[in-house]
Parts: sequence; structure tokens; C-alpha cells
Amino acid sequence: MERDGFLELRGVASRYGATQVLTDIDLSIAKGEFVALLGSSGCGKTTLLRLLAGFISPSAGEVKVRHRDVTYLPPDKRGMALVFQSYALWPHMTVAQNIGYGLKLKGISRTEIAARVAAMQSLLGLDGLEARKPQALSGGQRQRVALGRALAIDPEILLLDEPLSNLDARIRLTVRHELRALQKRLGITAIHVTHDREEAMVMADRIVILNAGRIAQQGTPEDVYNRPASAFVAAFMGAENVLFLNGAPQGDQFAIAAGPANAACSLPLLGRPLAAGSVEARFRPEAARLFPADDIAAIGPGITFRGEVAAVSYPGGHWRHVIKLGDHEIMADADRAFEPGARVAVFVPAEALFLFSSPEAASASPTSRAPSGKVHA
Amino acid sequence: MPIIPPNGRTMPKRFLGLLLVLPALAVIAFLFILPLIMSAVGAFQVEGTFGWGNFTKTFDLYTKDIIFTVMIVSLSTVLIGIASIAIGGYLTLGEHPVAVAILRWLYRWPMFIPFIVVGQILRTFLSKNGMMNNTFINLGLLTPLDAVSFLDWRGIVIAFVWKQTPFVALLVAGAMASINRDTIEAARNLGASRLRLLLEIVVPQVAMTLTVGLILSFVTMMSVLSVPLMINAQSPTMLTADIAFRVNSYGDYGVANALGLISLVLAASVAWIYLRASLKERA
Repeated sequence: MERDGFLELRGVASRYGATQVLTDIDLSIAKGEFVALLGSSGCGKTTLLRLLAGFISPSAGEVKVRHRDVTYLPPDKRGMALVFQSYALWPHMTVAQNIGYGLKLKGISRTEIAARVAAMQSLLGLDGLEARKPQALSGGQRQRVALGRALAIDPEILLLDEPLSNLDARIRLTVRHELRALQKRLGITAIHVTHDREEAMVMADRIVILNAGRIAQQGTPEDVYNRPASAFVAAFMGAENVLFLNGAPQGDQFAIAAGPANAACSLPLLGRPLAAGSVEARFRPEAARLFPADDIAAIGPGITFRGEVAAVSYPGGHWRHVIKLGDHEIMADADRAFEPGARVAVFVPAEALFLFSSPEAASASPTSRAPSGKVHA
Repeated sequence: MPIIPPNGRTMPKRFLGLLLVLPALAVIAFLFILPLIMSAVGAFQVEGTFGWGNFTKTFDLYTKDIIFTVMIVSLSTVLIGIASIAIGGYLTLGEHPVAVAILRWLYRWPMFIPFIVVGQILRTFLSKNGMMNNTFINLGLLTPLDAVSFLDWRGIVIAFVWKQTPFVALLVAGAMASINRDTIEAARNLGASRLRLLLEIVVPQVAMTLTVGLILSFVTMMSVLSVPLMINAQSPTMLTADIAFRVNSYGDYGVANALGLISLVLAASVAWIYLRASLKERA
């Protein structure tokens, strides 16, 4: 895939009044790529999409399609079609009129519009619904009409603004795959805004994670999941367990000092730019392995914490434990249930433990301060 | 044993409810429905006996005025519709924030001015030597010889449009403001021009509100006496002026009632169009 040249954003910024919504967005998207813009609400992802669509102009930077500057072009001159979160179907028009409106605006003959609308309907499984008004459609059907309306004008780039968020959970799962299959079949470039991590993982070739108007990380789903570039990305991608440890790099290893819940150990550095001092350690509940406290857990490189089970629940598939490590609580999954009150060892393999230097965290967290005092004493 | 209805309430409680609405019902019945029925009956009474006499006389004398009234009110309604769509459309789609703010502040004013004052203002403005013609003459656009008075049907239409547009525009602009903005942006995304956005996307979505506003305006204009009296005190004139004339000059309540009933039928026919449209929409 040609990485640069198709859709490019260079130093794009946007402000709303005095609020800086987007800062310094550099993004290059290849033709036929499916990119998910992922972030929590208010991170600027919808603003970025609306900026691409041409509804708002950036305060700085430029947007290019095939090396052509489209930054200040009107929405319809960019070869992009937007699918709205609310679908934004026109309630006074039938399904066929909704899908065919873009073609009508282009001055295409009635017979051709009818033919293309019919083709779009059968592509999307909307046959026989052409005379219905949007109010008489189910949520999934409305969503497909909105998609058909956008695809009917044959856009080069499809912009999707949380198009699945108004669907039932069950329908959403199938629509994800349908939408992705359709995008592949048509070879269309798609930019999909979502706050749903799993949706982004399942659908996208590349995930762009936005935080406070900046790109926090971009990469393949495996990349952002397994190699988060910052504590924010790690937390956003599900590594919600957080502990503060102390350590220092030693060659290609990172030596972690003993703390209230862990013994001293050493982890491969894996090229991470970690400085000596306090580190923020994050891991996913499913990455942890639980053992009875007296079992010595030494399975490959990793770190072992010792603590006590505070609560246990069954969300399905595995048992989820809340474990008290000193005055911190973490969550860890296991195939069998440990009784509350049981002493356990929590083993986190090195590759699943995300470490980030956190100079400011040292003073904020009491658990990381206590061991540092011990180490230096 | 008292009979207890299925909902568990005893009968006296029901009567108490009825008693509570009785004053309101009585007011409506005696001050509104009864006079209306008496007027309607009066239209068919000629010197104590029932007959079509009043209507024959009405159509002999006032057919021209009936047509005049219908034409003026219909034309005004159309113009009010166009003007309020234009105002509402600019408030919704206008991109110049200052112009939108000025229009928003300005357009409502005529709503607070009574019809009689509107008539008076326009009388001095539209007459042969009025402010409008004077301005044109001073600007060199018109010679004093070519100046004509607008104090005829045109004056009435101007007065009605001037007075009623803000009311309809208020309703229409409110409805336009509450439609889903995404539906407008979706059309913009596909390349719809500003005019197409207004006529094909925005107006159809507020059609019902627009219709209600125009029907209320139609009925209001049918009942205005002061404007035709102030601006067009000649023949043909509007039905309201005729009714006042029959009552005040001749004490002829029979013909006045017949004229009133005709006005009522005209107003009701418009309301009927609305009812049909709203039923169709719900179906």
C-alpha cells in the first residue's frame, strides 16, 4: 500500500473559540485502508472527521487528497461521503429517494438513478423497502440506508461517525463484519470514528488513538494492543491495573526493586526508553495468572505480586478477582475461583507488563514512595 | 350497597370531577357556543320565519366582496408563507452571524403592533403623498405626476403580510431550529446548494408547522376589521367591513349573520385542508 499520497493531513489544528480541540495532527492514509479514529468522548475525533468532510476549516495545517489541497474545498468537492451517527436520513423522503438524492444533485438521469438505487439496495439487503419512509425502518435498516446514501455517489473516501453506536449490541457485531467486508469488496478508503476499542480492533487496518486533540499512538491493532506507547494508550486499550514500582535499567534488563507486594526482579527492557526511578506498571486482568501464595511461580520472565483476594465474580468464561496488593487493588482473571481472603501470588509475564517512566508519579503515589525510601536507606 | 365501578372509584367522586369542570364548560357553552348557534340560526331567519332570504341578499350585494376577501387573504397567505420561509431559512442556514443576529432581533417587532396601528402607519406611508412616494420622488425614481396611492387591495395585502409574517416566521424558525442539523449537513455533504437545502430538506421537514401557522394567519386575516376600514374604505371591500356596515348602519343582523356564516365556512374549509393533511401524515 502506498503510504503517502492518498489522504494526507499535515500539522492540522482546530480551535473552537478559545479551546484548542486538535493539535498538530499528522496522518497519512493509503488508498483502500480502513482507519479507526479511537478515543474517549471529547478527544476531538469527531471534530477531525468533520474537518476531513469539510464542515469546519482547520485553524492551521492542510488536508490533501492525491496531492491536491482540499483544505478549503466545500464538502461535496472532496470525493468524501459521511455516514452520520444519527444516520440523518431525511424523514420526508422514501428509502429510494434518500439513497438517490446525491445522484439527483449530480444531475444524473432518472432511469440511471433508479438503476443505481436498485443496485445499492440489493448490495445492502434493502430490497423491497424502496417506498418506505425512514420512520418505518428498523435501526439496522436505517443504518444501511445511510450507508447506501453515502456509497451511492461512489465516493473515494467513506467517513463513518460512530455509525454503529445506535444499534443493538447483537446487531452491531454482525454489522461490523458486514461493513468491513463491504469496504474490502469496494476497495474504498474508510475512516471510522469510534470510542469502542473492540470495534476499532475488529474492523480497522490501522488504529489512530487520539487523546486531548493529539495523536497518542497509531499502528496496527496488534501494535497498539501489545506495545502501547504511553500509559494513556495502555489504559485505553484495557490495561487498567496500575501499580507504581521502582527500578533502574541494567544493560538490556530493567531491574525492579522489591516493594510492599513484590520481590526484586529483572525484566527484559525490550528497547523501552525507561529511566531509573519510579515507573508506572500497567497490565490487563486477563494477562495475569493466579497461584496459591505458597506455590513458587517461576514461569519465564515476569513479575510476581503477593496479595489477598478481596472479591471474586464470574463475568463469563473465567473468574475475575479483585486482589489487594498492599493498599492497591488490582483485578486478575483465573480459570478457577479463589476464595475471598485467600493469599495468592499474581504473576504477570514480562511481555504483558507495560512499563512507563513516571517522574511525577513518584510523589503522587504513596506505595511507590515507601519502597523508594527503603531502597535508598 | 353502593355500586363500585371497575376502576374502584365511587360514583360521587366522578360527579365531583364533573362539578369541577362545570364553570369552564358553562363559560364555553353560554358565551361561545350559544351565541355562535344563535348567529347561525339568525342567518336563516327573515322577519321571524326561516328562509334563504338573507343569503340571496348577501350574494346579490356582496359576491364581489366575498371574492375580493378570498383573493386578498389567499394572496397574503402565500406571500406570508414565502416571506417566513425566507426569514426562517436565513436564520437556520445563514452563515453571517451578525446578519443572522440582526434579523433575529428585528423580524419579530411587527407582531407586537396592533392591527389598527398597522393600518394607521401604512395609511400615512402608502398614500399618494405618503412617505413611500415622497422618498421615491426625492430619490428621482418617480415624478410627482406618476405617484399613485397604494391605499386599495395592495395596501391591505401589504398590511397583512407586514403584520402576520413575524408570527408565522417565529413558528417556522422555531421548527427549523429543532430539526436534526445532521440532515442538513448530510445534504451539504452530497453537494446540495443553499436553495435546495431550504426547499428540499428544511421546508419539507417543517411543512406541518408552516401549514398550521398559515392557517392561523388565514383565519386571523379573515377577521380583521381595522385594516380594510383604515386602508380601503371603498368598494369592493372585505367581509368584516361589510358585516360592521350591515350592523351599524342598518341594524340588519340577518345579512350580517349570513356574511359571518360565509366567513366561518371559508375559514373552516382551510382548517379542513389542514386536518386532512395531518391525518394523512399520521397514516
